[in-house]
Formats: sequence, C-alpha cells, structure tokens
Amino acid sequence: MNIQEYIESGIVESYLLGLASPEDSAEFERMCAAHSELRASRNTFELKLEEKLLEAKLEPPRELKSRIFSAIGMEKEQRPFQIQSLRRPALIPRFGFAKYVAAASIVLLAGSVLLNFYLLSQYKKSIAQYKELVDGQTQLASSNRILQAKLETYESDMSLMKNPLMAIIKMPGISSSPSPSSMTTVYWNTKTKDVYLLVNQLPKTIPGKQYQLWAIVDGKPVDAGIFDLPEGVSFLKLKMIQKAEAFAVTLEKTGGSETPTMNAMYVMGKVIS
Amino acid sequence: MLGLTEIYNEQELITALKARDDQAFSYLYDHYSGSLYSIILQIVKTPETASDILQEVFINIWRKIESYDPQRGRLFTWMLNISRNAAIDMVRSKTYQNNQKNQEITDTVYGSDQVTQTSVDSIGLTRYLGKLRPELRVLIELAYFKGYTQEEIAQIEDIPLGTVKTRIRNALLQLRELLK
Repeated sequence: MNIQEYIESGIVESYLLGLASPEDSAEFERMCAAHSELRASRNTFELKLEEKLLEAKLEPPRELKSRIFSAIGMEKEQRPFQIQSLRRPALIPRFGFAKYVAAASIVLLAGSVLLNFYLLSQYKKSIAQYKELVDGQTQLASSNRILQAKLETYESDMSLMKNPLMAIIKMPGISSSPSPSSMTTVYWNTKTKDVYLLVNQLPKTIPGKQYQLWAIVDGKPVDAGIFDLPEGVSFLKLKMIQKAEAFAVTLEKTGGSETPTMNAMYVMGKVIS
Repeated sequence: MLGLTEIYNEQELITALKARDDQAFSYLYDHYSGSLYSIILQIVKTPETASDILQEVFINIWRKIESYDPQRGRLFTWMLNISRNAAIDMVRSKTYQNNQKNQEITDTVYGSDQVTQTSVDSIGLTRYLGKLRPELRVLIELAYFKGYTQEEIAQIEDIPLGTVKTRIRNALLQLRELLK
C-alpha cells in the first residue's frame, strides 16, 4: 500500500477521532514517523477539526471554572509539584508512604490470586472425584439390577423344579443324530399341563434353523413349540400339552415344520406314567 | 484572572502547563472548555452530567499533562479524546443508565425539554454529520458518540462487518471534505 492509499483509507481521521483500534493507531504512529506526507495530512485535518470545533462552543456553567480550580488547589496542597525541577524523575517523590502501601497491596493481591488458583484447582479436583464416584455408583446399581433379574429367574426355575406336580422327562441324545451327546429335559406340570424345557446340551443352531419340540400323542407327533438356545441356564416355557407318551426335539427351518424331519432328531424321552 | 489573559502559542502553552502554571491552565480553560463541553453534551445530553464530566476532564488534563506527547497530535486532539472517552465511559456506566431510565419515565409523564437537544444538534461535529447520507451518519453516530466498535455496530445494525468498515471510511473521508 502506498502512502496515498493509506491516507485514503480514512486512517488519519479515525486515528484523530479516537476510532482506530490500538493496533491501527500504533501502526499509524509508526507510519507518521516515517512519512512526512502522512504527517502533513494529519496536521491538516487536525487544524481544521480544531478550528471548526472551537467555533462550536457551548458555555459551561459559570461556577465550573472555580470548582475545577479549587479541586486542583486541593490536589496541589496534598502533593506539591516542584515547578523548577521538571526534569527530575517525576513520579518517585510524589508517593512517599503510598508506594509501600501500593507494594504491600500488590503482594497481597498476588497472594490472593495464587490462593484462588489453588482453591480453583482443588475445586476442579473434587468435582472430578465426585464424577468418578457417581459413575461408579451408577455402574454398581445397574449391575445390581442385572444380578437381581438373574436371581429372580433362578428362583422361579428352582420353584418349578421343586414343584411335586412336575413330571420330569429326561431326553438323551439319539445315537444316529448329528450330536449323540445332546440332552434336554422336559418338566411337565401334570396339573396345569404347562411344558417347560431345560436344555442340558444341544449344538448351536445355524442361521435359518430353529429347534422344535414335539409331543408324541397316540403315536403321532404334535408340535409343542419352537425355540432357540437360551443364554445361560434357564427353563423355556413352551406349548401346553394335554397328553403325551414321549417328547422329542428336531432341528427344523426357522418357524418350525408341520411334521418333524426324522433324520434331524437330536433327543427323545419317553413319559413314564 | 480576567485581564491577565495572555496569548500562548501551542508550544509555550504546553511548557507552561507542564510546569503547572495556574495562568496557563486558566487560559486553557477559557480557550477550550466551551468546545469540549459541547462535545461532552452531545454524548451525555444532560447539562448537569456534562458539567461533572468536564470538571473531571480538566482535573485529568492537569494531572496527566506530563503524559501528553506532541508527536502523537495536537493538544486539542488529546483533550478532545479525553473528553469523548470520559463521556462515553459515563454513558456506559450503570448509574447513568439507571438515571436515564428514570429520566425517560419523567419525560413521559411531564414531557421532555427539547431545548438542549436542538441547540446541541446544530453545532460542532453534529452539524457536519447532519450533511452526511443517513446510512453513513448513523454509523458515525454509533462509533463516535456512542463509542461502539465496528464489530458491535455490525451486530446492532445487522449488516456485514465489511459494509460497516466501508461506510465508516466513506463517512470519515466525506467529513474531511466537509471540514475543509
């Protein structure tokens, strides 16, 4: 940017009117020191501004001047200026005791700032620790809820097994099946006719397949419900069966079949009456 | 002090002021208080407040004359900026704003006195600003008499910062022409 462009940016006016930012003002002062053209432009605007504003007077109240002079007079008595020795280092003798007070207050202020920082860091630490505690507490509570739910399941399973009306039908693996070591157990409530299945051991199913329980009634297989392998140990409540001579489990397509696929029978057990 | 009035050139005046010469200070007051008062009045609007600020300004000039640096501009420019800053500080202070609210209530009830307002509007910078195009004038008023930064003005007027900068620049350059 050449100096003419700089002048046309309005910097002269905004600097003199106090509208320029501190950075722009500092730059303007540097530029002024280097460019006489800029100084000339500044002087022109300054003189015009002063001339026009001095024409624009409004009389302040008459008593104001004496008020100001008496205020200044009081200041003079409090801290007399030595007119003849202007070139002395001006500020030092003017504050006697005050500079110690000032120094002390700066020390106190610094101390207080440090203390505040310390307290702030302590506070932040406490907040972090509190959050950790709350998180831990939440985790404990949720695992507690999970345990509670598991316990309830086990309790109800236990009460099934305890029930004297339950007929227990062991269903061992079939030697010709893909997994002869399989085993399930049916718990059949002889009164309510509810059927519960406990999977002791069955291979994992492949996608698209589900196990199906069959009740053999008068020599014919009747659908007793489809199931997936349960997680952990738990009883599966399947369909009610009024009457049966035996139970069997086959692997069928998802959703079950009308009739069992005989070569996919895993376990079977007879009802002992 | 009347009758003792001397005519100083700027350099003599500054030297005498730095020596805390009462007579020089009296001359300074007689010579400049009217235009500084009018600038202050254009910002704070009420004569009582303006007088208080003018008093504070002259006491500050007396205290801080050591820090005045002729390299940075003329004495009048320095005093003008001290006055404008003091007035804007006052306008932005809490007490002033509370008083203004009370004043507005009083004005609504009793009708406001427009006399001061019109006399201020017809003098000084405001007279020249009146000749600017309205959209430029508004921005200069916000910047100069209310002391808002260009960023704040962009928010207040809801126009882009770039536009604010261009308009203020144009306004200042027009003002320069108007003062010639």
